[in-house]
Amino acid sequence: MKLINEAEKNNYKNVWTLSEFTGGTVHPVSYELLGAARALAEAKGCEVWTVALGNIVGGEAAGELIARGADKVIVLEAPELAAFNDELECNILERLVRKYCPEILLGAATTRGRALIPRLAGALYTGLTADCTQLEIDPETGDLLQTRPAFGGNIMATIRSAGFRPQMATVRPKVMTALSPDPERSGTVIREQLEASDLCGAKEVLESVETLENTVNISDARVIVAGGRAMNGPDGFRLLERLAEKLGGAVAASRAAVDNGWIAYPHQVGQTGQTVQADLYIACGISGQIQHLVGMQSCKTIVAIDIDDTTPMMKLADIAIKGDLFEIIPEIIKELEKRRG
Amino acid sequence: MKIVVCIKQVPSAGDAKIDPETKRIVREGSKSVLNPFDLYAVEEAVRIKERKGGEVIALSMGPESAKNALIEALSMGADDALLLCDRAFAGSDTWATSYALSKAIEKIGDVDLVICGKQAIDGDTAQVGPGIASKLGMMQAANVLSVDAVSADSLTVKRMNERGYDVLRLKLPALITVVKDINFPRIPTLRNARIARKKEIPLLKPADIGADPDKLGLAASPTRVVKTAPPAVRESATLNIAGGSGEAAAALVNELSSRGLL
Amino acid sequence: MAERHIEGYHVEIIPPKQDSQKLEEDLALFASKLTRIRGSGFMASITDNAMGLLAFQGHECIEELGIDIDPDKILIHLNTFHTKQNLEEILDECRKLGIFNLLAISGDGSTRLPKLRPEDVDATGTASVTSVELTRYIRKRYPEFNVGVAFNPYEPEAHEFEKLKRKLNAGASFVITQPIIEKNAIVDKLIEMYPDLPVTIEAWMSKKLYLLSDVVGYPIPEDAEFDPIGTLKQLEKDYPQCGFYLSLLGFKTQYPVIEEMAAERAARE
Repeated sequence: MKLINEAEKNNYKNVWTLSEFTGGTVHPVSYELLGAARALAEAKGCEVWTVALGNIVGGEAAGELIARGADKVIVLEAPELAAFNDELECNILERLVRKYCPEILLGAATTRGRALIPRLAGALYTGLTADCTQLEIDPETGDLLQTRPAFGGNIMATIRSAGFRPQMATVRPKVMTALSPDPERSGTVIREQLEASDLCGAKEVLESVETLENTVNISDARVIVAGGRAMNGPDGFRLLERLAEKLGGAVAASRAAVDNGWIAYPHQVGQTGQTVQADLYIACGISGQIQHLVGMQSCKTIVAIDIDDTTPMMKLADIAIKGDLFEIIPEIIKELEKRRG
Repeated sequence: MKIVVCIKQVPSAGDAKIDPETKRIVREGSKSVLNPFDLYAVEEAVRIKERKGGEVIALSMGPESAKNALIEALSMGADDALLLCDRAFAGSDTWATSYALSKAIEKIGDVDLVICGKQAIDGDTAQVGPGIASKLGMMQAANVLSVDAVSADSLTVKRMNERGYDVLRLKLPALITVVKDINFPRIPTLRNARIARKKEIPLLKPADIGADPDKLGLAASPTRVVKTAPPAVRESATLNIAGGSGEAAAALVNELSSRGLL
Repeated sequence: MAERHIEGYHVEIIPPKQDSQKLEEDLALFASKLTRIRGSGFMASITDNAMGLLAFQGHECIEELGIDIDPDKILIHLNTFHTKQNLEEILDECRKLGIFNLLAISGDGSTRLPKLRPEDVDATGTASVTSVELTRYIRKRYPEFNVGVAFNPYEPEAHEFEKLKRKLNAGASFVITQPIIEKNAIVDKLIEMYPDLPVTIEAWMSKKLYLLSDVVGYPIPEDAEFDPIGTLKQLEKDYPQCGFYLSLLGFKTQYPVIEEMAAERAARE
């Protein structure tokens, strides 16, 4: 809500997080949000509250949220909350925010959070910063400083929402650190009830379907094993598939490999293919022409394996191994198997 | 059926070079393009129109050069295009942008469906679509994988979730944001491209859409960028692993393990 | 049939881009270039979304503008980034216009361009469609087309010759090389191995030689001196039996020189 004057800020207290449930269990990102919220609450000298909406939340889950840093857990259970319903959850949250007036509200940048939270910010007329990588309290103003990558990661922008409350931000999973659970921590559960008005304008969820399709989606993969011309044919890619499977990753390729018909185009990384942002990118026999590099430069750790150690990829890599792919990769697979026992 | 597609012009990456110091890719020069995710929105709108009849209106906000994005939408089959173009809109954050677009949609009137791309590649926030829906009190579905049934007063869609999808029935008017799996956007024919370039694209000011000037632009935006800084430099030292295949493989697995990557 | 491709010059022209902000002007320029090439008796080679940048199709421009063409003197590039429907449309429209010369290439993709799937071109035993599968499909479904293919002397030699063999087995009947700037041993070998195969050599007509860095696989300095016309003249001496494919030809100053060279060549023969 837009503030009329500076004094009005005092009406808003505490740091809230929105906890997420998938299939009746707490989504781990909820704990990460609590970890971030704890640090902010410490700086502000206030409490951490979390909101748990679901068809069944259960005492155990509420206890776990407290152990992970919540002082108060608002629980609202209703059968209508079994599947994600944007309008319904937005109505509930808008009502709770207006009732309790949190100063800060953090949500997860999951597919659900990224739909729900902007709707809520729109309804509340307040600021929202997406995908924050750092959150801190400005020591001078007490406002929330929200830092996020902008312009494709070329710049980090710090954003403030001075004249509006609550200050809202989303955080991607695995960006913040959860606290270890402390069973000694105490907290309070506040039960709220569904009201008829919450259902106003809510859609009908006809069914929810779980798919376990193994579609090629290298743009979302956390680990990628990629091969180039030196893979020498489709059999080389079978080898990469085995390695990728051991690492729980996806297989990608350079343009040369796709042009040779060894692997299908949806696997191609680079300017004329996909852009990927994996945590780990293992480039096997890819020399690293700029057209390929632009598609994978944002990966966190790059490993290159090649017989030729003068290639751009071998120089760019965080870890470079010079040698014969067809000897080294089977050894890596063996090593991983050994570790898994 | 009257469908509005909200689209955005975004900077496209220009030529790339590698900075030898940071090992990061530096992109030089940039031109503007239609936000890639919006292509799927335009395509889906045109497909619904082709199935059910009606009209598609492409709507954008930005400088006059954003007309080019609208021309692309017209070339793909949108019937009309409107551009919110005025200094008063400049500097709007996602809240103020959603407000301006929602006022334009109200002004267009009798809109059954609003379609947006899942997000714009410059901001990556995915906030404007749900922002518009909340201001117009519309039902929404973000990350729609397919539009299955379309009737005069409802829409059945598959919406992506983290474990699969939900089948939703939305009462119209509604807003959906679409992901790229939904379709393959057509490439305009030369004939359609020539016709599109001859269409007039009206430039609208706040007064034309009945928008409250106090809710537009930088001054009315709840969020404000207060600082920018370069990102942390990529660790540029390369760890070279040598030795026999077995040793090298073991060393790599150890290294990955110690970096928490396994 | 084959000799057609070796006489005279191929002049590459690029149709207007999809994002052109002066489309009518670009179309007029395209038409005037095509007409000029026709007047000179050269072959006009029209690219297909070169570099993955979206452009209009050559046949569309010819039809839409009603450009008068000599269909035997048109070569349409066709890459693997199309939908099946689009591929069939292009082939049908080319047939209607009487254009039967195609250059099948893998081509450059982009997220905006669909890629032909193996099943679209009745291909089995491959994960992706390359110029080999495309050539085979066209020759089988539309045997009236002459299909040319690319030859890259900068790729590992054995690999490239093996790929060429597959392209020829698929029904390709002529070859256009990647640009060379001097006598090239691999190209010599190509001509020696296939004495009856029409080979057209791509000659780089831009002064910016460094743009070739990615093709040749090593960096060429930006200030490298390069004389395109002089190089072409030398290549013609080295390869009198070959045709020449002129890419990035300047229409203002270079074109008249090329016309003179063609006249001299005709006089010699």
